[in-house]
Amino acid sequence: MNKKIDVSVIITVSSKQSRNNVEALYNSYKTALEKSKLSYEFIYVTDAGLGDLLNSLQTLQQRNEDIKIVKLARWFGDATALNIGYDESSGRLILTLPAFQQVNVDEILRIVNSFVDTDMIIARRKRRKDNIFQRFQTRIFHYFVKVMLGMYYQDLGCRVRLFKREVLEHIHIYGDQIRFLPLLADKYGFRVKELEVEQYQSDSAHTVYSMAHYTERIVDLISIFFLIKFTKKPLRFFGFPGFIIFTIGSLLGLFLFYQRMFLDIALADRPIVLVSILLIVFGIQLFAIGLVAEIIIFTHSKDSEEYIVEKVIGGQRKEIEKVHMPPVEEEV
Amino acid sequence: MDISIVIPVYNEEASVEPLYRQIVDALSPLDFKYEIILVDDGSSDNTFNNASEITRKDNRLKVVKLKRNYGQTIGLHSGFQVADGRIVVTMDGDLQNDPLDIETMVRKIDDGFDIVLGWRHNRKDSLISRKIPSKIANWLISRVTGIPVKDNGCAIRAYRGEVVKKFPMYSEMHRLMPVITALSGARFAQIKVMHHPRQFGKSKYGLSRIYKVLIDMVALKIIFSFFHLPLYGFGIFAIFFGVLSLGVFAVGIVNLILSPGQSLVTTMGSSILLASLSMFLVFMGLISEMVYKTGDIKIEKLLKRKK
Repeated sequence: MNKKIDVSVIITVSSKQSRNNVEALYNSYKTALEKSKLSYEFIYVTDAGLGDLLNSLQTLQQRNEDIKIVKLARWFGDATALNIGYDESSGRLILTLPAFQQVNVDEILRIVNSFVDTDMIIARRKRRKDNIFQRFQTRIFHYFVKVMLGMYYQDLGCRVRLFKREVLEHIHIYGDQIRFLPLLADKYGFRVKELEVEQYQSDSAHTVYSMAHYTERIVDLISIFFLIKFTKKPLRFFGFPGFIIFTIGSLLGLFLFYQRMFLDIALADRPIVLVSILLIVFGIQLFAIGLVAEIIIFTHSKDSEEYIVEKVIGGQRKEIEKVHMPPVEEEV
Repeated sequence: MDISIVIPVYNEEASVEPLYRQIVDALSPLDFKYEIILVDDGSSDNTFNNASEITRKDNRLKVVKLKRNYGQTIGLHSGFQVADGRIVVTMDGDLQNDPLDIETMVRKIDDGFDIVLGWRHNRKDSLISRKIPSKIANWLISRVTGIPVKDNGCAIRAYRGEVVKKFPMYSEMHRLMPVITALSGARFAQIKVMHHPRQFGKSKYGLSRIYKVLIDMVALKIIFSFFHLPLYGFGIFAIFFGVLSLGVFAVGIVNLILSPGQSLVTTMGSSILLASLSMFLVFMGLISEMVYKTGDIKIEKLLKRKK
């Protein structure tokens, strides 16, 4: 592997994405990168069964274009594909590009040139081509992200992102979490910048997605919410609702007990008794789950040191840039 | 190296130089070899520059710069990783602690204690926003855990080196370090320390932490009580609910015999729910057992002394 590569371009292609004009797109991306005067490599990570795509890529390869192709036996989502592409890459920077055009190609050059004093740049499309409804759903989604996570980004759907290699070294994303990479990077301490770019003329969001699409987004949002906010303190997350539900159940139970003992109201055929017990049981279950999660964090906290030491200076040693702390050795 | 002093600082540009002076003045007359580790927790002001200025003149100072502000726990943790001292002392970077107390604390550690905690008996902070909430928190913590720590919020502490290096630090654990270590059998001492009013900058810690500290503490207490035998811990509750379920079931049967024709829905329903909870807890216990086996922190080993 050539160590001097500056930018590794990783393009993940699932079978769901439109992928016309692979060649034309490759050429235009390539022209943009040529202009930046940086050395680059292209890595395509593709789903199995994309015969037409593979054919056109192989045609390109035969023309001595520097392309690596990784064909996956099964598709596990774009984030997983990105990780696989990352393992194959050797660039100092990683540029992810979509397999369909989202931004004007010239803007890629601008993104590369503005990569100063930052760890990640994500493109934000000027929504000229979207209609009101499309803009509205984009807004809503990002508004939810803001409310739940306290981080405000305006275009997580845009795949054009340029970032330092270390970002993927530290952050493990999988499945469909690719749109949340900037959020995780931000949380981890990387500097993430948004750059406004021109939207490509035929790129626009679908007006109405399938029900499954919306459901997936909601599930993603919840999982990322949990990952960012509570991985380090699961009992705070589970314990609170658990405690509330348990308390409601217990109070209800006490009330029924009081009725039975002092007011002599029979309980035998009242479903409310079951409700009370159900709530108590559910509350305890939630709490127990939180506790198990807490045990997991406690015993595995050495594996998940989520911070980055930028440098250590002074002492007997010379200045060391970017020391990443190794985990502490276990002494027995 | 005898003593490592770990100090997380966040936007304390004005305090760095005086802090360094005070420590050097306090420790130089003593015959300890020491180092000062400043952890710059992602400050946005000149904290790092001021500190690195000092490192040019004095190689007893190390500065760890973190990428962004991660909070005190991680600040301390990253400092511990570069600490070489036999004894590790932590303190605040806002000049409210007095380095003159370090000597007494270090001597205590040499007397055989694992942890020596400071106790601000004469605290110089506002009554309503700082002192009263902290009193309540301390009282609750000692009630729940049974460990009578008088001042959980006091940052000046001394630890035997191995103790801090082995302990899991995540979330906001630093506050509970004394309690955690004591729960796992550490010997701790508490001494009165001096406390000065704030000179520079503003206080960065509010009082919204009580809920968090409490719930973390409940978790720790439970983990430490049953941790080495999770199945046993969950099992006790499983048996309790199992017996309860059988009891309710028996009541239902007795009712059926005494007054045939009465509805069995509530008794049988409750019995089934309780039985399912009992089973659930058994399985949770099994999962915890598995987690514990695969984990890399074992409570029994946390405080094993070197022989």
